[in-house]
Amino acid sequence: MNHRQPFSRGRLARLGWHAAALAVAALFLAPLLWVVSASLQPVGLPPARTIGWFPHGVAWANYGEIFRLVPLAQQIANSLLVSVTGATLTILTASWAGYAMAQMPPAVRGWLVGLALLLLLAPTSAVWLPRYVLFAHLGLIDTYVALVAPALMGAKSLFVLMYFWHFRSVTPELFESAWLDGAGVWTSWRRIALPLARPTTLAVAVLAFSHFWSDFVDPLLFLKSPERFTVAVGLRMFQQMETTHWALLLAAVMVMIAPVILFYFVLQGALQRSNHPLRRSLQGG
Amino acid sequence: MSVHRSAATSPRWSPHLLRRAQLWLMLAPFLAGAFLLIGLPTLLTAGLAFTRYDAIMPPVWVGLENFAAIFRREVFWIAVRNSLLFALTAAPLQVLGALLLALLLHPVRRGVEGYRSAVYLSAVVPDVAYALIWLWLFNPLYGPINLVLAAVRLPQPLWLADPATALAALVIMAAVRVGEGMLLLIAARQALPAAFFQAAMLDGAGRWSAFRYITWPLLLPWLLLLLVRDVVIGAHAAFTPTLIMTGGGPGYATTLLPFLIYEEAFGSLRIGQAAAMMSVMFAAIGLFVWLVFRRSGGWAQVDEP
Repeated sequence: MNHRQPFSRGRLARLGWHAAALAVAALFLAPLLWVVSASLQPVGLPPARTIGWFPHGVAWANYGEIFRLVPLAQQIANSLLVSVTGATLTILTASWAGYAMAQMPPAVRGWLVGLALLLLLAPTSAVWLPRYVLFAHLGLIDTYVALVAPALMGAKSLFVLMYFWHFRSVTPELFESAWLDGAGVWTSWRRIALPLARPTTLAVAVLAFSHFWSDFVDPLLFLKSPERFTVAVGLRMFQQMETTHWALLLAAVMVMIAPVILFYFVLQGALQRSNHPLRRSLQGG
Repeated sequence: MSVHRSAATSPRWSPHLLRRAQLWLMLAPFLAGAFLLIGLPTLLTAGLAFTRYDAIMPPVWVGLENFAAIFRREVFWIAVRNSLLFALTAAPLQVLGALLLALLLHPVRRGVEGYRSAVYLSAVVPDVAYALIWLWLFNPLYGPINLVLAAVRLPQPLWLADPATALAALVIMAAVRVGEGMLLLIAARQALPAAFFQAAMLDGAGRWSAFRYITWPLLLPWLLLLLVRDVVIGAHAAFTPTLIMTGGGPGYATTLLPFLIYEEAFGSLRIGQAAAMMSVMFAAIGLFVWLVFRRSGGWAQVDEP
């Protein structure tokens, strides 16, 4: 058509669209960039009251200082333990549940999907009070079991649904014929279902890891000993120090969000390469 | 096939039944977890609401006393009012923002993934980190928001330090977190058949009428679903920012129900009253979901995207 002409209407419209989209992207990225800049301000100087990225120079030392002020390395190790255990268990339980749901007769399946959708609407933070009472009776307060427990139900029913949608979309006859060939349910889950669902597993792994890594309310309520604290609750230690330590607090914030953001880009890259149909829907979760 | 037929006639477990039993076994952790961690606690909340309980002595049945007590307390009604204000402003703004961004960023063009990522990134940031970042953004003296406002000579509110603006500040930070909603609406918008829009263009419809008569009605079930989700989740998710950023203050300006429940249960150890408040909140949310569900005639269209 007319896209060779330098100032065609379509081209102008496209330029306008890019300008608008760029402005929106910049607006949403600005807070994160500000945080990076603020985390690198030298401590001890009065905070700048002008807009400028680095009015007093760049203090990389802040990122070392936060590890000396607070047992941050220990907290990172704790968070890693909880998140890796939680994500691993989640992959197991969510893929079992999704796989089994996909092979149930339609009536049962509809009922189970309904249950999973209902659970999506019941945010787990709504039940922390009775959970506390329950965990206290079971002697689970101040243990990581209390933090990892939600992995039993696949952490979030969204993860179960992600596996379910995947296994529904992948030729249901495949599992049927595997069964007729004498493969048991567990064998076909391990040999056929899991390898097929690799993109979903990657997505669930990343989302579940981020879920446990970011969890704040559970460790706030269930952990008592400071040496067991995860990074999420450890951040409050910086907040409870003097208010002038903004740079250190924000440096710790950066350390906490870095893996989550990194994993998000890893996931996005992997899904883009595989061009999987789940790409859009799971980014929405 | 014949092997299984003959096995099915044997008096022991037929392969079909065995297979079904194994599938239920695979579902067992999910079902047990859903019961133990969501179902049972919900029932327990309802039960505790009728008891006096301090987590040390065993609970004592007191009937409706807790409900009578919380209804008499002014701070409960302040928290109800704040929570309603918060939910009824933040959630619609969030859905509106997600819709506008989805309409802007749904076309498949070069660079669009980057723009979407930039918007989505704030949804990835953990709640505590998000609250701490905004605590600093809202800092009246050094925060970037007020520095920018000062640079363009606009009034600079005290934000979280002023009872008049503190709740509005929390609404703003909740409302701009639109990444997930945007991605959902982009997916929904892309699923609309292009033929509808081409036909409308041929009939001479402008952009506005295409939106008014095609996009809007077809996206409406999704918008309602998002609204319900944002109200339900937002009502609880407001806990972390209130705890980290305001402690419910100044005064009671940002005392939302989840924060009051936390204070009652873990600060004052009045677990019975906290459970009563939580039951009221559950009932209100349940009623709201049911009303939207009835109005929209169910979401049969959206249960398997």
